[in-house]
Amino acid sequence: MAKQYKTIGDEAWKNSVEKVNAELFIFTYGSLVVQLLRDHEDCTAVNQQLDKLGYNIGVRLADDMFARTSLDRCSDIHATADVIAKIGFRMFLNTTPTVGLWSSDNEFSLLVEDNPLNDFCELPPRALGDGLWYSNVLCGVVRGALEMMHMQARVWFVRDVLRGDDTTEIRVRVERMLDEEVPAADE
Amino acid sequence: MVVVNNLYIFDRHCECIFYTEWNRTNSPLAAEAEAGRGSKDLVRGNQVLTGDTSSSRSSLDGQRPLVWPTTSTSTTHRVSAESLRNVAMEEEAKLVYGVVYSTRNIINKLNSKDSSQGGNPGGFTSFATNTYRLHYYEAPTGVKFILNTDVGTTSMQPVLEMIYRNIYVEYVMKNPLFRIDPKVSTPIENDYFRAVLNNYIREISSAAMPAS
Repeated sequence: MAKQYKTIGDEAWKNSVEKVNAELFIFTYGSLVVQLLRDHEDCTAVNQQLDKLGYNIGVRLADDMFARTSLDRCSDIHATADVIAKIGFRMFLNTTPTVGLWSSDNEFSLLVEDNPLNDFCELPPRALGDGLWYSNVLCGVVRGALEMMHMQARVWFVRDVLRGDDTTEIRVRVERMLDEEVPAADE
Repeated sequence: MVVVNNLYIFDRHCECIFYTEWNRTNSPLAAEAEAGRGSKDLVRGNQVLTGDTSSSRSSLDGQRPLVWPTTSTSTTHRVSAESLRNVAMEEEAKLVYGVVYSTRNIINKLNSKDSSQGGNPGGFTSFATNTYRLHYYEAPTGVKFILNTDVGTTSMQPVLEMIYRNIYVEYVMKNPLFRIDPKVSTPIENDYFRAVLNNYIREISSAAMPAS
């Protein structure tokens, strides 16, 4: 199953996705974060805004991914984690994080080796001190996409290479499965 | 020859967010809605007090933009959204959703593939009556497409998948102005979406039916 996901991801990246210049994307994201910092001044607020941005992207990205691949719903959370890493990240960012550090069967980590958003970026000491997570938009994206798949999740950054750690780690915790809505009873 | 009658799109919150018709032979349940309106309002009033989900929906209905094609010439001169609410069409949409929801659940249970998150593991694709055939497609995210055609059409699954992948995702999901809210359903009011959909259905209707 894991092998299959990898091939689906590679296949989707090669054929189904329109490509954009990576530098354009990276610089656009960088200037977005800089503008948010200028507007808000407070890194926690910027983190929240990035998460909100990511959430709006994520809810649409779930449908986009299903439109481009012929996937169906995953049977369990392990499959979901694999799909996010091997197909989602691969299709949209051309990087495949490893899934690991499972704990209590509903919490896992995505270890991203080369986050493309980090290229050309260096955090100033003020941002480092205040606790800015530069790629926090990715947390929002995963959260939004999981919500469209009826899973309420909490997604947060644990480590980031831009802050001096050895690798980038995003932790995902599936809090609960949302049941499908039943139409309101009439009469 | 495929004769496509109409299309409903329901979102994850069981609300009809889009309806269009190309060939409608009967009118919605107008007469029954009029007669039953008095008693229905009373019941709805009770409903608002007791259930919280239904009350949030009915309080929002008055401000929601219209889903149904209006008979009036211009929608910009709306006096009030309330007065132009097409109750008959809303009732019809609820009926259609109810039929489809129940049928899908029965099929899931019979296949012992029941799941509380929905989806279509049982594989409900269509049902037919003497006069029409209803085709159903559910996307993995919970968006439901219902297409009614003439009885002779066997399978519109590829058509519905096309509509989902290339028209709905492209023009509705990728539109940043289309608000996606976990609590509120936004109807689709997108001219491009309508135009592309109409073109596609016209193509389908005029193409020769492939040998199956």
